[in-house]
Amino acid sequence: MNIKLDEPIFEVENLVIDLYAANVSVRAVDGCSFSVYPGETLAIVGESGSGKTVMTLGPLGLLPEGVSVDMKGIARSGDQNLIGQSEKSLAKLRGGNYGVVFQDPISALNPMKRIGPQLASQVFRLTGASKEKSKEIALDLLRRTGIPDPVDRYTRYPHEMSGGMLQRAMIALALAGRPRILIADEPTTALDATVQAQILELLKEIQRDENIAIVLITHDIGVVAAVADRIVILYAGRVAETGTVTEVLINPVHPYTKGLLASVPDLRAKQSELLTGIPGTPPDQSQLKPGCRFSDRCSNAIETCWQIRPTLKEIESSDGVHLVACPVEIANIKGKGNA
Amino acid sequence: MSKLILRRIILAIGLIIVASALTFSIIAAAPGNVAALIAERKAGPSASAELVQQIAEELGLNDPLPMRYGRWFSDAIRGDLGDSLRTGKSIDQEFSERIPITAILLGGGGIIAFVMSLGIGLLGAVSNGRTVDHLLRAFALIGASTPNFFVAALLVIVFSVSLGWLPAFGGGSFVSWIMPCVTIALFPGSVLSRVVRVNLQEIMSRPFATTGFAKGYSRSSVLIYEALPNIAVPYLTTFGAQFTLMIIGSIVVETVFALNGIGAFFIEAIRFRDFISMQATLLLFIVFFVFVNLFVDIVCLFIDPRIRRETHG
Repeated sequence: MNIKLDEPIFEVENLVIDLYAANVSVRAVDGCSFSVYPGETLAIVGESGSGKTVMTLGPLGLLPEGVSVDMKGIARSGDQNLIGQSEKSLAKLRGGNYGVVFQDPISALNPMKRIGPQLASQVFRLTGASKEKSKEIALDLLRRTGIPDPVDRYTRYPHEMSGGMLQRAMIALALAGRPRILIADEPTTALDATVQAQILELLKEIQRDENIAIVLITHDIGVVAAVADRIVILYAGRVAETGTVTEVLINPVHPYTKGLLASVPDLRAKQSELLTGIPGTPPDQSQLKPGCRFSDRCSNAIETCWQIRPTLKEIESSDGVHLVACPVEIANIKGKGNA
Repeated sequence: MSKLILRRIILAIGLIIVASALTFSIIAAAPGNVAALIAERKAGPSASAELVQQIAEELGLNDPLPMRYGRWFSDAIRGDLGDSLRTGKSIDQEFSERIPITAILLGGGGIIAFVMSLGIGLLGAVSNGRTVDHLLRAFALIGASTPNFFVAALLVIVFSVSLGWLPAFGGGSFVSWIMPCVTIALFPGSVLSRVVRVNLQEIMSRPFATTGFAKGYSRSSVLIYEALPNIAVPYLTTFGAQFTLMIIGSIVVETVFALNGIGAFFIEAIRFRDFISMQATLLLFIVFFVFVNLFVDIVCLFIDPRIRRETHG
């Protein structure tokens, strides 16, 4: 891949993904756009079922088997559009260009094969190095991800290692093809808190060394604040708000973003303060209704919210581009500005 | 691990003793006076009561059952299974003539079932949900529900009578073995192909299969390199069970194709009420069942690193 720093390395435009299973169809992703630039970390945040994994892994053809998928839109990588590629050419594009780290490292590695050979065969396949050289590179990768005693771990089976060690091995596997973009799907959710921090630190370190782009799929605002540069807030398959992490976390505009931030537990809060949540539940995405998806749960909603689908609009920002899909809040800001 | 293997072996021996005692008692309890039967065959319908009594004494039929079993079993261990009442030859000699025939039948059938099940199962998984997949499933269903004797008759009509390609009797040249082996392999091959197909499908929805896709593998590569090693244990376990069942199939198949193997020997023994041959053959069946399953268990221990670890503790 020919890389220009000021051009996105992966760009999704107006992506629509319908999932079909049995006799229901769900619009999991409904017209989303985002882009990732080399060297940056883009966090994709949303609750379970908001479509964050489908939106990111769908264009790469990495959705679980048994679900029929219908994709429309553009997912650009270099000069290639991933949407509409045949399974074979997509497989070729995936290997090497994209490293993927999954949520649960214990089940994401083949239980019948030793860690080292799983890694070495991937190095062998992608780099064309000799078998001996591949083994050396695989050992180096293990060493790089901070696995103690890599020579011993090389011969271990997945069930003989801890979750944290396996996630390191998983990262090593994702790096085997020297990818330009690393997709981490809830990489720390299955790990305990201290290990979480180590894994995030490792991802950051790799990013610094290789100028790699990271797409971090998570529901953990704490993780976002710690490592991400930009953030995409997803609600029911649509982008609610996006901007730099500092801008969005400090000046949230969309009511959903505000609700999300308000429901993060604060250790310094007084005992009398109750933890706030967002009332209601996300909408049923198999029923397509007009208007804003969040309107049923939104305290600021006005009549038009149920009628007109909001579009992402740029608002004034102190740091980078800040887009919000809520005409009510945007009008509020403008009203205050004018007053 | 060696401790576990030893435990399995002891268990297997115990199983042989219990199962053979059971079959021995059932045969002993079967209606009909064996001594009278033998006397009749020796001296005609007018055999005297003294002769019957004498034969019963010679065979030890008047002793209590546990004693008879003990005597028979200890003889059997020493390799003396008695003489066939029907042919008069020693069972050892009968076995040494007939076991090779059944071994070829089961060996050939086993190889065909193995190749067939992996081929059909993998092809079905590769063509996932498309027409080929449905056709293969239909074929497996038919294969698993058609009785041996019917398959044998069908093959003979088509390939021997109509086309004249293959001999209707087995036991000679290589080609004469084709139909018997295919007949006996059809049922286990069909059942096992479903085991392969269903297990592969289940494995393909596991996260490490998705990792395989993420590594840049095509679907077929994920199936072969990531999923296939993971079905080894359920596959081999079912294969062991199906392989042992083939010896039951041999009873029909050897009779249809006029093979003088163990299955045919057993049927002849039943027809002649040759209880000595029946007991010896059943013991052979039991030993075969137990040892095949023991072998499969031990192989699985070596194949799956997880079972191996569980046994360390």
